[in-house]
Amino acid sequence: MIVETGHYALVLALALALVQATLPLWGSRKNDPALMAMAPSAAIIQFILVAIAFGALTWAYLTSDFSLANVVQNSHSQKPLIYKLSGVWGNHEGSMLLWVLILAFFGALVAVGGRRTPQNLLATTLAVQGWISGAFLLFILLTSNPFARMLPPPAEGNDLNPILQDPGLAIHPPLLYLGYVGFSITFSFAAAALINGRIDAQWARYVRPWTLIAWIFLTLGIAMGSYWAYYTLGWGGFWFWDPVENASLMPWLAGTALLHSATVMEKRDALKIWTIFLAILAFSLSLLGTFLVRSGVLTSVHAFATDPQRGVFILAILVFFIGGSLALFALRGPLLKAGGIFAPVSREGALVLNNLLLTTSCATVFVGTLYPLALEALTGDKISVGPPFFNYTFVPLFVPIFLAMPLGQVLAWKRGDLLGAAQRLVVALIVAICGGLILAAMQGEPVISAVFAGLSLFVIVGAFVEIWGRISGGGLSPSVMFARATGLPWSAWGTAIAHAGVGVSLLGLAATGWGVEKILAMRPGDHVAVGPYEVTLDKVEPRPGPNYDETVAHMTIRSGGNAISTIEPSRKFYRARQMTTTDAGLRTFSLGQIYAVVTEQNSNGEIDVRLYWKPYVALIWIGAIIMALGGAISLADRRLRVGVARRARQAAMQPAE
Amino acid sequence: MTRKQRRLILIGSALGVLFVAAGLTMFALRDNIVFFYSPAEIASKAPAPGTRMRLGGLIKQGSIVRGENRSVTFVVADAEREISVSYTGLLPDLFREGQGVVAEGVLVSPTSFRADSVLAKHDENYMPREVADALKKQGHWQPNEPKK
Amino acid sequence: MIWVVFAVLTGLAAIGVLWPLSRARGAPLDGDTAFYRSELTGIDTDLQRGLVSESDAKAMRAEAARRLMRTEGAREESGATSGTTWRRRIAALASIVMIGGVSLGLYARIGNPDVPDLPLEARRQAPPETPDLMMAISRIEAHLAKNPDDGRGYEVIAPVYLRLGRYDDAAKAWANVVRLLGASPVRETSLGEALVFAANGHVTPEALAAFQRALALAPQFQQARFYIGLAAAQAGDKTRARDIWTKLVAEAPVDAEWAGVVRERIRELGLPEAEASTDARPSSEAGQAIAALPDADRDTAIRGMVANLAARLAQDGRDANGWAMLIRAYMVLKQPDDARAALAQARKALADDNEARARVEAMASELGLGG
Repeated sequence: MIVETGHYALVLALALALVQATLPLWGSRKNDPALMAMAPSAAIIQFILVAIAFGALTWAYLTSDFSLANVVQNSHSQKPLIYKLSGVWGNHEGSMLLWVLILAFFGALVAVGGRRTPQNLLATTLAVQGWISGAFLLFILLTSNPFARMLPPPAEGNDLNPILQDPGLAIHPPLLYLGYVGFSITFSFAAAALINGRIDAQWARYVRPWTLIAWIFLTLGIAMGSYWAYYTLGWGGFWFWDPVENASLMPWLAGTALLHSATVMEKRDALKIWTIFLAILAFSLSLLGTFLVRSGVLTSVHAFATDPQRGVFILAILVFFIGGSLALFALRGPLLKAGGIFAPVSREGALVLNNLLLTTSCATVFVGTLYPLALEALTGDKISVGPPFFNYTFVPLFVPIFLAMPLGQVLAWKRGDLLGAAQRLVVALIVAICGGLILAAMQGEPVISAVFAGLSLFVIVGAFVEIWGRISGGGLSPSVMFARATGLPWSAWGTAIAHAGVGVSLLGLAATGWGVEKILAMRPGDHVAVGPYEVTLDKVEPRPGPNYDETVAHMTIRSGGNAISTIEPSRKFYRARQMTTTDAGLRTFSLGQIYAVVTEQNSNGEIDVRLYWKPYVALIWIGAIIMALGGAISLADRRLRVGVARRARQAAMQPAE
Repeated sequence: MTRKQRRLILIGSALGVLFVAAGLTMFALRDNIVFFYSPAEIASKAPAPGTRMRLGGLIKQGSIVRGENRSVTFVVADAEREISVSYTGLLPDLFREGQGVVAEGVLVSPTSFRADSVLAKHDENYMPREVADALKKQGHWQPNEPKK
Repeated sequence: MIWVVFAVLTGLAAIGVLWPLSRARGAPLDGDTAFYRSELTGIDTDLQRGLVSESDAKAMRAEAARRLMRTEGAREESGATSGTTWRRRIAALASIVMIGGVSLGLYARIGNPDVPDLPLEARRQAPPETPDLMMAISRIEAHLAKNPDDGRGYEVIAPVYLRLGRYDDAAKAWANVVRLLGASPVRETSLGEALVFAANGHVTPEALAAFQRALALAPQFQQARFYIGLAAAQAGDKTRARDIWTKLVAEAPVDAEWAGVVRERIRELGLPEAEASTDARPSSEAGQAIAALPDADRDTAIRGMVANLAARLAQDGRDANGWAMLIRAYMVLKQPDDARAALAQARKALADDNEARARVEAMASELGLGG
């Protein structure tokens, strides 16, 4: 009964989405507050219903209800609890349900948190949101129903792929989806603004928190996915320019551009057309990512052609929303009045440059990802566009971004002083050059790593130059400086911290060039120097596991003759699936990592070992976390929430302290 | 500075960036892509020896011969042709006889190939996508389970 | 019962959506002025921070004020809020129709309201109404998961796995039997056999080791010797394979069905037959009877058996081994077209059993029938 209740709740959610998509829109046209007020209620109820459905599916997984085809295909009664749970979204049907759950969750959040948003805008936004969730609910129910029954039920399910049985994979998709789907809110706001015909600075402020939330989750989701690839694939790499990875990078780039151009719109009522366009673009790319991953077009263009039902459905959704919004855009765009004016050299100008570079780099990723698919569909030739392509296109476009980042932060609004700004950055430049030289002296070749490390220091230090100039000056006591620092808007701190996070990640990336890789055959007792450490292979022994045979290599890491740690890289052979997986041995020492992978033991007792010393590698992911933290701090800035402004006004009327 | 001039600067810089990006893309697409071949396609399309490519197929049963210093030779086959591959280095986890493989390297002669990397990334069914495609076209391979 | 739940859900959803329609609404809040004020504070902060010059700040304040006036003007144009009763009635009706119609209509098509939840634990405990082999296996598996050292349990389930085509599980189970109950020629050989099946008929090194362990315990154990021969044949040592198998056939009891299989294998080696096999005698009674017939009649008899098999499979096609036998028989009878047709039928019949189909495919491609 629980299962069918969930199934029914999902169907009911579709009905609610239809109500939400139509009646409030009508109310908004006619300016009828009662009809418009239906939108928040419908959104909240819809979320509750989808949550019931998701809960029912989860329950079916936890109790191994093999009367559901989806559970049979992706679960097994002997699986550990956490993988039964993550199995819910570790497959197509379940992950689409999670997608819609998060979509409905954001809709409900807007409904609850948007009481200060003008009713017109809120109702239209939720109506657009209703269109999106309606389309995806229909997709789930008609082509990918997780509640499809299998009768009579088999006695046991197929196991989940061992590679997918990993805690990282349990949280990675939800994080990524929170980001992907979060951009649906900005999209809905943009479509609503176009429908209502009111697009101004105020709109940008309503949208701001939603863009930030989506961006924060997407940043964390991408970082998490990259770390997962790093430690499970056993290849030492963390980014492969794989289409699935690119599918998440593209919305991130567009979303980052959106975040910045929305600032200009909010502050200066300028770049309106562009901001709306980016809001549409960010979500379109999220949809495209969903399409690429979910239609099977990546696995095989032919599979897509022979079993097109799902792919075509998603493609239709894609065309409907992208085409529809662009048509609206073309219709309404010309009506927009130009906003505040600014000189090319100004903070606005710098943000325009940032936007230009971000969207262009996004376009190159787009070409690199879709060109092989298009070519294969047209000519049948199969090509691979590997990392070299992206190194030649993406990297040159990003270098100017890094250079311009600190510059933009110190430029004034409206009209800036380039020379003055450059002077303020002299400190950052000196730190960058000295730091780069010191690192080059310490780590040696290659020079490019030192150059990029210097660049990253420039970004990190430059991120705080503006704030430092604000709080320091002329022999102030620390307490005054502290008071000034806390007096600054949180959003200023958020910006600085997020920018510094970019620099930190870049430093980690730059340092990959100083990594050491050793591939060798070792016998127990052999030792080898890897970077500043010495690794000894103590012994290799089998270790039995519940459903695999494991070969473990015990290694000791020494620094200056003293044993400081041990690692245990291993290989697991899963008997049921006849599959081998590699478990890398990882140990972090002051931001760098020793990474060890072993292969099977040779007949002469030797074992092939791959050892890496990766200096500062942890910074790549720490930087992403810092970026997300900066976003969160910026999000917490109450001054930038509409409605709270009224309280600020009251405060402003009191005499200044 | 007038509004028109400002707009010109904006459009000019936008075009400049786009132009550079397009140039970079064209350059990178010309020099940094590799084509994928199956053994049968090498026989039929006859690419010149020395061509850089990806070769995909199944590793023939019993064909893996390991030599000194991690060198290894094996035979990649599809339903029609076979090509022997030589490689030195560590092999990915899923490298096993009878399994699909993609090797990137240089064609030495129509029947031999020197690989400099053997790819480890496989899709959910543990069949590299290109290999599955090529084999499916020849009507050879049946997926374990229809993909959902 | 379940319909009550559905009705309650639907009712609650409808009430929740209709609730706002019944309430009068206050005037929309004035966000514009508030926003204008916050803009002014923002400009002041930026001025303090030196992010904007004094003159530009003045211009920006003027811009903000102009925007405020523009939006105020636009709002007056758009007119006051309106709400008429008839519109709300239509909206209420429309939402009830949508909620009721869509949810019931769609659910009636795709739902299974009469299927209860079937969690595995409950199914295991339920008294077996019909003898369900799969549930029996599931029960044993659950028992073994709790008592992983019960060798007897593995020994019961291992042959079942093998018959079901779950070769990997069979191999694992036999390995556990050997580990827990000790080695015996039968157990080691069964382990090896399961490994061979799992490797699509290829005698892997592990399997070979198992057979050798079996022979170390009982040097004359025939089943193990057969596989040692097979390993030799696959390694290319045809002479050795022939010698092993020929000896095996020679020792075979008159009624040993497997002798025919072995003889077939020897023929497939394509070597001149060794002396010992001259006393080739069909093993089974049917086989003997057929052998006794004149050549032409024998051919007819075999064809009759094949036809019977084909007829049986046409009735019930879910027997992968049957299909494999039929296809092989057609090839032996030199009727490749029939073999191909049978293969096509097998694909159709086994369409929803991928594993069985894969086995038939594997055998077909061995016979050169791929495609």
